[in-house]
Amino acid sequence: MSAQAPVKMKSEAGLLDIWNRLRKNHLALFGLVIVVLLVFFAITADFIAPYRYDQQNLMKAFESPSKEHFFGTDEFGRDIFSRIIHGSRISLQVGMIAVGIAVVFGGLLGSVAGYYGGRIDNLIMRAMDILLSIPSILLAIAIAASLGPGLYNMMVAVGISSTPQYARIIRGSVLSLRGQEFVEAAKAVGSSDTRIILKHIIPNCLAPIIVQSTLGVASAILTAAGLSFIGLGIQPPTPEWGAMLSGGREYIRDYAYMTIFPGLAIMITILALNFLGDGLRDVLDPKLKR
Amino acid sequence: MIKYIFKRILSLIPVMLGVAFIVFTLLYLTPGDPARIVLGDQATEEALHEFREKEGLNDPFLVQFGNYVWKAVTRGDIGRSYMTRRSVANEIMSAFPSTLKLALSCVIAAIILGVPIGILSAIRQNSLFDNVTRFLAMVGLSMPVFWQGVLLILLFSVKLRWFPSSGFDTWATLVLPTLTLACNPLAVITRMTRSSMLEVVRQDYIRTARAKGQSERIVIWRHALGNALIPIVTVIGLQFGTLLAGAVLTESIFSIPGVGRLMVDAIKMRDYPVVQGGVLFIAITFSFVNLMVDLLYAWVDPRIRAQYK
Amino acid sequence: MKGNSRTKAAVLAVSALVILGLAAVPALAKDTLTIANIYDARSLDPIIQNEVAASGAICHINETLIDLDAVGNPVPLLAETFEQIDPTTYKFTLRKGVKFHNGDPFTAADMLYTIDRAKSPLGSAIKQYPEIIESAEAPDDYTVIIKIKYPFTPFWGTMAHTSLAVVNKRAVEEKGDMYPLNPVGTGPFFMKEWVKNDKLVLERFEDYWGKKPEYKTLVMRSVPESVNRTIELETGAVDIAYKIPTADVSRVKDNKDLGVIGAFEHSVTYMGFNCEKEPWNNPKVREAVKLALDINGARHAVFRGTSLTPVSIVPPTIKYTDKDLPAPARNLEKAKQLLAEAGVKLPLKAQIWSNAYKPRVDLAQIFQAQLKEVGIEVEAKVLEWGAYLDGLKLGDHDMFILGWVISSVDPDGIMSGIIHTKGGSNYSRFYNDEVDKLIDQGKTMPDGPEREKVYMDLQKMLAELNPVLYLYNEESFYGIRNNVDNFVPSPRGYHNLTGVTFK
Repeated sequence: MSAQAPVKMKSEAGLLDIWNRLRKNHLALFGLVIVVLLVFFAITADFIAPYRYDQQNLMKAFESPSKEHFFGTDEFGRDIFSRIIHGSRISLQVGMIAVGIAVVFGGLLGSVAGYYGGRIDNLIMRAMDILLSIPSILLAIAIAASLGPGLYNMMVAVGISSTPQYARIIRGSVLSLRGQEFVEAAKAVGSSDTRIILKHIIPNCLAPIIVQSTLGVASAILTAAGLSFIGLGIQPPTPEWGAMLSGGREYIRDYAYMTIFPGLAIMITILALNFLGDGLRDVLDPKLKR
Repeated sequence: MIKYIFKRILSLIPVMLGVAFIVFTLLYLTPGDPARIVLGDQATEEALHEFREKEGLNDPFLVQFGNYVWKAVTRGDIGRSYMTRRSVANEIMSAFPSTLKLALSCVIAAIILGVPIGILSAIRQNSLFDNVTRFLAMVGLSMPVFWQGVLLILLFSVKLRWFPSSGFDTWATLVLPTLTLACNPLAVITRMTRSSMLEVVRQDYIRTARAKGQSERIVIWRHALGNALIPIVTVIGLQFGTLLAGAVLTESIFSIPGVGRLMVDAIKMRDYPVVQGGVLFIAITFSFVNLMVDLLYAWVDPRIRAQYK
Repeated sequence: MKGNSRTKAAVLAVSALVILGLAAVPALAKDTLTIANIYDARSLDPIIQNEVAASGAICHINETLIDLDAVGNPVPLLAETFEQIDPTTYKFTLRKGVKFHNGDPFTAADMLYTIDRAKSPLGSAIKQYPEIIESAEAPDDYTVIIKIKYPFTPFWGTMAHTSLAVVNKRAVEEKGDMYPLNPVGTGPFFMKEWVKNDKLVLERFEDYWGKKPEYKTLVMRSVPESVNRTIELETGAVDIAYKIPTADVSRVKDNKDLGVIGAFEHSVTYMGFNCEKEPWNNPKVREAVKLALDINGARHAVFRGTSLTPVSIVPPTIKYTDKDLPAPARNLEKAKQLLAEAGVKLPLKAQIWSNAYKPRVDLAQIFQAQLKEVGIEVEAKVLEWGAYLDGLKLGDHDMFILGWVISSVDPDGIMSGIIHTKGGSNYSRFYNDEVDKLIDQGKTMPDGPEREKVYMDLQKMLAELNPVLYLYNEESFYGIRNNVDNFVPSPRGYHNLTGVTFK
């Protein structure tokens, strides 16, 4: 039987089957719901947040959570609830763009390495090894320091520091697919290498990419929050959760709510993404379980 | 076997060169004049100029890099800190013991708790215990370390007065940082132990042992665990390596004078030699730990050992 | 039940161990003074760095010839008497019978060595201090004659600075590279142990020439997290906590075992304009910004009522400060009017730069909101220190927030530093000949009513020209345990703890 057939069948009946299996995993479902909620908040922040995120009111600083301000106010009298809602947009942006960068570059490098093999493979993987031997938080800090402060620079820093993992994963997938018959067939027919990579190989790598990306968004958000916490990255008054946590640290004895809510937001987001990622991993390819 | 080890160690050299190159490039591209920062904003123009000349900061990039590599390779001289004028090696060596202490404490805690819990979880798959454990492990992975540390200080240092919030000399000062930092490795090790055990328990030789009438305890502890250990050890090694790399955030929160904090301060103050030397040191340590793990892996797994006989 | 009592026993055992561990500390407390500072010293070599944390440690180990009192007048230290012979010559008569920690006697040769060393390339971080010295001579073992290059009234401040603290030639040459970790001096303490970035342990020097400290051991811990410093104070792990956050002040005051001391330093934080850039080159625009801001209100909010709003560029702790200048007051109408007169097109886009120091970041954000009301749209940019200094040098900025510490304890310090055309830190690019002339005059005139007039004039001129706006004189708070006595924080920002006693 041709090796191409099973691949095709998987992608047709696949989606519904995947959804059904995912549903059974309660934790993963919970994760999905939270993520969807976050995306909703991120998109509609301007409408659902009761106040603007930079609206100062020095007279009402340090107010505890109340009916007027669900999560209380910070040192400038800004509504923390609104800032957390707006922060979801920032966090998701950071997560997605950072992972996007890592997937695109990592994917490119990994697929080229895996497909062509030999010297090119060696070269690229050495480079990835080098990057991997530097702990990612340190690498992110160094890149952030060199690019300068700012949200976008931070995304790039986190993205670049995550690239090697994606390169590795994709290279692994490509390597295993490379020998398959449908690739030989495509070559025989005369498809260019690029076409083969784009049309055949990458779609079949999707499973590990999706899993890693979901977990990667979580990791990116955490790294970004860590960078803001150290003081590299976010410009005020941007309501990034990590920066909010850092800013509230000084007041933690009297106004602990200033750190508790951003911390909870981060934790729940990461938890949800992790559950979802785990669930996806179980469902998309049980063999992927490490 | 010796040949394999030798080859692996040799392959570290280009990697280290690469690391040095990347760090050098990053620092070169980073805005901020070290002379200004190190000498302070009240320094004279002349002093600034002298500093830059002496440290070779006005040389072209490749010349600077070449000098650095040459000195490191021929004399083991990785420079002096701009700030303290001590040798970089000295600076790192005074910070490393603290990081080592913290990393060891975390890894030991993670192993002592994680492996047994992981095994139990695997044995009682899908039980309440298993589900609760998996949930908690996930929570452990998701907690931002900096938040956790801050909250622990609030609870244990401020409210309960049980443990100090900073310093690193008595064993009491070790507790909170370990509690904070160990959660991640604990969760990872627990999960890995569980999944590895689950894989192994399904294997044929386990069924054989059971059929032979061996007690369940021997089956689990000797046969299953022995074979499940391999990926677990790998993960432990990786986690230890990551911890050694300096738990930057934890060290900041608890004022621990370790390598992570040294790095962050050096980056902020543009103390280039310390940053370069520090990252190089961390990279070598990390790679070394990985190598150890791989070797252990190869030694434990008879299949791989056979390859090298 | 059984499990319960076993658990209880375990908890008791652990608690007992913990308490024993912690109890060991108070038992030593009477003979050991422990303080928590923000940063650790970079090195204990007086000429390697120009930092408050280092000076705070070095002053206990190495001494200068003279010290300064709170208002900046010289008082004897290693020099028994001192006088200014002529505008460029100073004579110091050294104390006899002073010993170094290694037993060597202190003589004039050591001072000459110290000065030479400070002027060598190794001293590039503190170069600006000994630079004024032309020559130093020792006609005998206990006399030092120093000639300076030009009349310089703040010279006493230079001689009292830790960069010129006396070091022992033999020790420096013997220890070479390791000297910064093993300093030798004449001070009341010698270095016992140093765990970098953790704690520095000093011990009483029994052969000290002066009044020895009553306690034996001084432990200086570095705890960068401000909240942690307060916590360490509350648990009794430290006796004095430097610079506790303003948020903790009332808590520490209310604690029956603790007290708070507030102190000002010879420093001011200001917001400068880039006077070479449009429209900030127009003094009317600068005044408009001054009127549009509620500097006092902002300061009050950021520092929760503490610290001061300055009326002049010269901090209130320094002589010749003009206390009678008008306090900044908000006047939106006048601000808008001035902007219109200056022909500024609104909305005007501008940036306020600062580094990551929280009070400055906070002020920038408040200013952002306030300036919006007159049509100036501000982006508050937080820059990392290195990039910040770089950027200021390049001159692209509009407004920037920076601080200045006057280590010479003389009004010339800030004028020459940030206002004079040749000032090394004149990032506001303020080039005014009249002002320059006055500064040059004041620098060389001897103290007296004429000198005072020069500075009074300068301050009035600056208040009208507004190259910089004065934001705050920061009040630092020190938490101390009630059994600690005689701790007097110095406005120099670093404190000599030799005289501290326990009740």
